[in-house]
Amino acid sequence: MIYGGDIITPILMGIMLGGLYALIALGLSLVFGVMRLINLAHGDFVVMGSYIGYALMRNFGIDPILGLIISIPVMFVLGFFIQKYLMGRAFAIASEIPLIIAFGISLIIQNAHQIIWTPLSRALNTPYSHMSFHIGERQFPVSYLLDFVAGILIMLFLRWFLKRTYLGMAITAASQDKRVAQLMGINTGRVYGYAFAIAMVSAAIAGVFLGMTFPFTPTSGISFLTIAFGTVVIGGLGSMLGTFIGGIILGVVQTIGGYLFGPASQMLLVYIIVLVILAIRPQGLFGK
Amino acid sequence: MVIALCVTVALAIMPLVGVPKSWILYIFLFFIYLAMANMWNLLAGYSGLVSLCQPAFLGLAGYAMTIGTWLDIPWWAGMIGGSLIAGLFALLISSAVFRLSGVYFAIGTLVVPEALRMIFFLWRPVGGAMHGAGAGYMIKGIGDLSPHVVYWLSIFVGVGSLFLVKGILRSKLGLGLSAIRDNERAASSSGIDVFRLKLYVFIISAIITGFAGTIYYLYQGYIEPTATFNVRWTMTLLLATVIGGIRTVEGPVVGTVVVVFLYFLLARYAGYSLLIQGIILVGIMLISPQGIVGILRRSKFYDSIVKRMK
Repeated sequence: MIYGGDIITPILMGIMLGGLYALIALGLSLVFGVMRLINLAHGDFVVMGSYIGYALMRNFGIDPILGLIISIPVMFVLGFFIQKYLMGRAFAIASEIPLIIAFGISLIIQNAHQIIWTPLSRALNTPYSHMSFHIGERQFPVSYLLDFVAGILIMLFLRWFLKRTYLGMAITAASQDKRVAQLMGINTGRVYGYAFAIAMVSAAIAGVFLGMTFPFTPTSGISFLTIAFGTVVIGGLGSMLGTFIGGIILGVVQTIGGYLFGPASQMLLVYIIVLVILAIRPQGLFGK
Repeated sequence: MVIALCVTVALAIMPLVGVPKSWILYIFLFFIYLAMANMWNLLAGYSGLVSLCQPAFLGLAGYAMTIGTWLDIPWWAGMIGGSLIAGLFALLISSAVFRLSGVYFAIGTLVVPEALRMIFFLWRPVGGAMHGAGAGYMIKGIGDLSPHVVYWLSIFVGVGSLFLVKGILRSKLGLGLSAIRDNERAASSSGIDVFRLKLYVFIISAIITGFAGTIYYLYQGYIEPTATFNVRWTMTLLLATVIGGIRTVEGPVVGTVVVVFLYFLLARYAGYSLLIQGIILVGIMLISPQGIVGILRRSKFYDSIVKRMK
């Protein structure tokens, strides 16, 4: 990205882009908060969401956002079964095994994408994602605005869900103290399954908005996993609001980095900030 | 011991007796990956340091050697210097990343090669011709270097790393490490300097990984940032170690054989090779967390072979 003019434009773009980063990171944050698992496959789940949107759009002409009606149940069921039959078993063996299994799933999804879709770069091109809107004199792509709105909505929904619904409270309880939650009659195995499934749904949504904003390839998952890591490290693992703010900070840092040092090194500033925060406050700015 | 020696000698004379070049390449890769996987096993398996920054070490060593050849430093001096630079770099970042524990250590180290890739993408230390889309450098003055020498160097580092791991595990350092792994707090209250032991392992692994990296780049003849500071290296090392059996001495050997063999078997379908490795990884972890070695150890036949190798 090349920005002309003053610094306000990159800041505004960064804030909107941050919505997308938060959207990508929310699922990672939820799974970590509940199961203490760094889901290395999360980036690939996001890209899977993008490809499902792409397949529906290309083969049936379904708008990617409408296509979520189909992809959300698919990803939900898939997530539930991954947790039940792979991760759940892995947790029973030893604590580091789920991490390795997640890495294996990441490899499988990535290469399956490569075989099905070829390594070519794809994008979700809709009539509206290429339009632009104005804030004062400044012009921005509509897709960025959609990212931001979707990021806020999903974050608020997850917050409401975890605090106000029975299932959400059960998930929170299981994450705070698994044994006590079990004594209170919560089926933690099933609750973990739902938590993983919800993380997959957020990945499906993130994938669609990602695909409308940036082109993606089968290997994009790794770079978006790094971004999600950064977001979660800044915001604090497990906190939804923290993750959202982390996403905004990361987005702004990236666009300012691009503005100051040129597009090639825009991520460098992000990595430096992530390393500094890890060294000073490993639990993140908003983590407990 | 005798069998191991015979196998090594047999592999060493292979290029002289006219074995196909592709075989030599796979054996070469086997030893390079073996050395790096051994070092990763030492870190992640025996010291509890899940380091995801190994590409940083092999890349820095490779770059140091390459840039050295442009400044008329001979390649062999560059190899040694490059490995030491990798070790110094490990010392440098240790003050930051060692403050992190467990998962956070992994995340912190994951970022290091990413940052280095961007730095080397932008930095042009010496002028002259660039190679490839990533704007890398050719290695100068290795025109008269025989490919056999590079091959033998790989055997040297592969076999050497195996002895190094065995030696470390038997030494005081190794005993301290196993105490730390079992219970870090108890070890530190028994007078073990946890930070220093972990730092030693981190630096040793950086030096050997860097050395193996320079051999790899001698073979390749050029270096460029995108493929060098790439998470693919980490994936290969992790796969080789974990499929074979983490926290076992034989694990990386068995795992590297599997990884390189799949490479060879599915050379034409690169995507399928990794897909199958992923499935093997998930499958093996669910059956036996100690990898293939964990399964093999249950059989008596394997026990008798291992005893004879020792």
